Amino acid sequence: MKRVLLGVSVVVLTVLLAVAAGCGGKDSSSGKPAGKAAPVVIGVPTALGAIEGGDSLRAVQLAVEEINAKGGVSVKGEKRPLEVVSIDTREHEPGIPVTEALAAVEKLIAEKKPSAIVVGAFRSEVLLSSMELVAKHKVPYITTIAMTPESQKRIKEDYNKYKYVFRLCLNAPYLVNYLSKTMEFIGKEYKFNRAYIVVQDVLWAKGTGAGLEKWLKANGWEVIGMDTYPTGASDFSSSLTKAKAGKAQVIVPIFDMPQSGILLKQAKSMKVPALMAGFISPAVPGTAWKTFEGEVEGLVNLFFEIGPMPVKAVPKSVQFYEGYSRKYGQEMASKLSGHGPGPSYDAVYLLAGAIEKAGSLEPDALVEAIKATDMEGVIGRIKFTDDHQVVYGTNPKETATGVVFQWKSPGVRVPVFPEAVAEGKIELPSYMR
Amino acid sequence: MDRGIKVRSEDIFAISSMREIMYLALPRAAVIAVLLAFPLLKDLLGHYWQNVMLMTCTIALLALSWDLLASVGLVSLGQAFFFGVGAYMAGFLSRSLEMTPLFTIPLATVAGAVVCTLVLFPVLRLRGIYFGLITFAIPLLMMRMIEATKILGGTEGMSGLPPLPDITIELYLVITAVLVCVFGFKRLMDTDYGLVLQAIKDNDRSVLASGINIQWHKTQAVFIAAIPGTFAGAFLTHHYQFVGMPAFALEYSILPLTSVIIGGPGTFAGAMLGAFILVPLSELLRAFGTLRVVIYCAFLLIFAVGLPEGVFRFIRRKYHQFERVVPMEEAKA
Amino acid sequence: MEFMSVIVFGLVNSTILALTAMGFSLTFGLSGVANFAHGGLYLFSGYVSWMLLNYLGLPFALATLLAVVVAALAGALIYRLVIMPVRGIVLSEVIATFAVGVAILELFRWLGFVTYEFNLKPFIKGSVEIAGVAVDYQRIIIIGIGMLMAAVLWYFTHKTRIGLALRGMSQDEYTALSVGIESDWAATLSLALGGVLAAVAALAILPLGIISINIGYEVLLIALAVTVLGGLESTAGLVAGAFVLGYSMTLTSTLLGPQWMEVVYLVAIVLVLAVKPSGLLGRSKELEERV
Repeated sequence: MKRVLLGVSVVVLTVLLAVAAGCGGKDSSSGKPAGKAAPVVIGVPTALGAIEGGDSLRAVQLAVEEINAKGGVSVKGEKRPLEVVSIDTREHEPGIPVTEALAAVEKLIAEKKPSAIVVGAFRSEVLLSSMELVAKHKVPYITTIAMTPESQKRIKEDYNKYKYVFRLCLNAPYLVNYLSKTMEFIGKEYKFNRAYIVVQDVLWAKGTGAGLEKWLKANGWEVIGMDTYPTGASDFSSSLTKAKAGKAQVIVPIFDMPQSGILLKQAKSMKVPALMAGFISPAVPGTAWKTFEGEVEGLVNLFFEIGPMPVKAVPKSVQFYEGYSRKYGQEMASKLSGHGPGPSYDAVYLLAGAIEKAGSLEPDALVEAIKATDMEGVIGRIKFTDDHQVVYGTNPKETATGVVFQWKSPGVRVPVFPEAVAEGKIELPSYMR
Repeated sequence: MDRGIKVRSEDIFAISSMREIMYLALPRAAVIAVLLAFPLLKDLLGHYWQNVMLMTCTIALLALSWDLLASVGLVSLGQAFFFGVGAYMAGFLSRSLEMTPLFTIPLATVAGAVVCTLVLFPVLRLRGIYFGLITFAIPLLMMRMIEATKILGGTEGMSGLPPLPDITIELYLVITAVLVCVFGFKRLMDTDYGLVLQAIKDNDRSVLASGINIQWHKTQAVFIAAIPGTFAGAFLTHHYQFVGMPAFALEYSILPLTSVIIGGPGTFAGAMLGAFILVPLSELLRAFGTLRVVIYCAFLLIFAVGLPEGVFRFIRRKYHQFERVVPMEEAKA
Repeated sequence: MEFMSVIVFGLVNSTILALTAMGFSLTFGLSGVANFAHGGLYLFSGYVSWMLLNYLGLPFALATLLAVVVAALAGALIYRLVIMPVRGIVLSEVIATFAVGVAILELFRWLGFVTYEFNLKPFIKGSVEIAGVAVDYQRIIIIGIGMLMAAVLWYFTHKTRIGLALRGMSQDEYTALSVGIESDWAATLSLALGGVLAAVAALAILPLGIISINIGYEVLLIALAVTVLGGLESTAGLVAGAFVLGYSMTLTSTLLGPQWMEVVYLVAIVLVLAVKPSGLLGRSKELEERV
């Protein structure tokens, strides 16, 4: 019996390994070198299992494919193709030590020797600790998911050490800005002034929640409560009860975990008469109306960056969306997450431009070139501040832009803010009218 | 076939000839030599594998700590507790008292072990899986407490802690620690004191009946076992210059446990060997992402169910057999 | 209003805890196997039902039934393949079942079963007001199922031949053997029943949220907490343990904030084992086993 068992388990393990080898090998590197010239390697170390991470990698691959189709980038007069190498840091899973994610990043840098890294850390905590690694290995690092402003502070404090890190996506203060503008509109239009904030217990969400709370209090709102939920929590009834008892008119959720969709469902079943306005990652994709069976109606949600949500005011974003649909299919495109893919796609173009301008892959020259960037991307106009953050604003002609939208019947996402990209206005959902 | 030198090696006649001394000393010496030579090969192996070595030694320390606890009959499912306490202790000492790692690591090791012993003291009387249960729950509880109370940096942890001087020095530090633990624990178990500890595992009632305070012995064993664990935590904190909630992560409980099960419990060398198989292997499997955990589990299952003696005992047996193929004439003489 | 909501949601949460822990507690009580794969089985049945509904398009009732059967088979298989070779070595049992549980959970994570789409539909949509508190039908159904299962369990272990045989086995293995009860058969059955209960709990409770990997780990911890708190073998202890935990969790969440909820059951495990190892309603026999 024992021997048979052992045999069976060895066979099972072998099959498992073989399957894994088949699947694991497939997506670890792509964008095969187009010509004979040595490729320029771009590293993507992120949480590939997370929706944002996976989408961002696909956006990067799309951009690389487009650039390679045109012959690649020219370095010192020689046309060289781009090549993407990715590694899964698993950092979105609760219980994965930061050190584990760092080990993955270090493995990528040491073994594949990328000329630059895009997408980068998923969690702010990992970004902060990766900065030491990046400084040690001197690799230009364009982060497009992690959002903490703390990294900018460090860049300012010790510029020469940390100058390799750039952020192309929204950061927490800009997010607060978008949310507060949205609240301002809601307050004016419907005379609402009672809000309840629920946030996920992670750095960026708490920072955003605290920033928004400050703004609300300074602008005549009453914040009835602010609760933090651990990543992975799935019962929100205590906050909803308190929100209902406190007669909150707006509930501001700030979450990037799939479980946060339950908040919507639970609020509906508990009949909480409040408008939901904030960020709930599972309710961003175009398929959300169907998955939630219409229960997302009225939810005001946002795309941190234009791109995955094509807006007419930025033709490039429409182009990106169509390109993405062609390569990965309509369904994948409509499932694009609200944070990451847009800037990740732009990051590759930005990098290609910087390499051509610098005329070399030498890190310090690249950093200078990236810093001097001024280009039109799918997220709007891209320009960096002194602390290496892309400027976000309300006009895509002048700055990079995010977009606030509302779910409206019969299942469409209507951009409502900023005015430059808006195609509609925030309306009260049917259960509040 | 299995006898010969093995029998002799366990008593004084073992050192009857140079050849037999070599026979006994070589495997040990070889392991020590390879480990000590490892940090010198940094140009050959590169930075990455040095890091893997560091991680391997860390897990080996936790595995050794597990094995020592298990030899008193205390089965822990939460080595992450020792690791996390050491890590946070080091982080706290260097953040609030601004000490250098030279002081924080030894201090955190000892103070952390004291804390661990105090926490586990009330539950030492539990047997079997109940002790396992409680050790399983404690690291998770610590994590949630830090999350909820926001003490010690809360979910963000503490970063920017002072680093250790150099990777070669770091490597020598942990490798020495591992070697000291392997041989030291083995020695300890062979002393009279170690016999009492083992007796507690085999039959605690009869030890009790002999007038020995088993509670006190268990407490001491927990303290000794906690030391490598807290050391590993304090050390990695300074290596990564960061400490946070993940210091109590399940990984630090599963990996040491799997290492011991692969290597074979009760031998210490097995625990170390297990870690040296498992951790590098898991690095090679990194491309598989989350599937790695499934693979660890498969290993755990195969070894726990199919090969409970573990790799080390298997190798040791083969080594003893291999030496004993004696020519007939010699045997006659 | 807040007071009422604590009462009502406390009741719901307590029932959820009891239902979650039932399978684990039954297996442990009947065969002494601490099935650390309980969380894995729980989530496994949820995913099976989801796949049957969404990939094969089976009708709801059939998918539910099949998921329960599959969970029972999985439980029995775990015993036959994994536990039987190491039966009696408690540590190996725990390690082996834990490995199975984690393997199941992480396999699903690897397969990408992590997004919001993986949710089960509630049996009946909508909600009703009880004393000013809106409670959805699903939660009311859960209370019903919980009470039903507790009653069935009590009847099964106290009145049926099989149930009595199993309890005999757990009380004195040798005597039971001598009257013709086969140990391995009994233990296989207890694992299968544990699987059934895990599946019933999963299919009733999962529609409240989504099927996510963390739930698997949480379920195991909850089962441990309730079992430790309530003592073994007695259905009354289980229910009492679940209610103590359920109400203290709901209260803590309302008074201190939701991030304290998980602290409660972990503290419960540690405190009960440290202070009163026999649990709330435990008897001396259990005390001897634990200390």
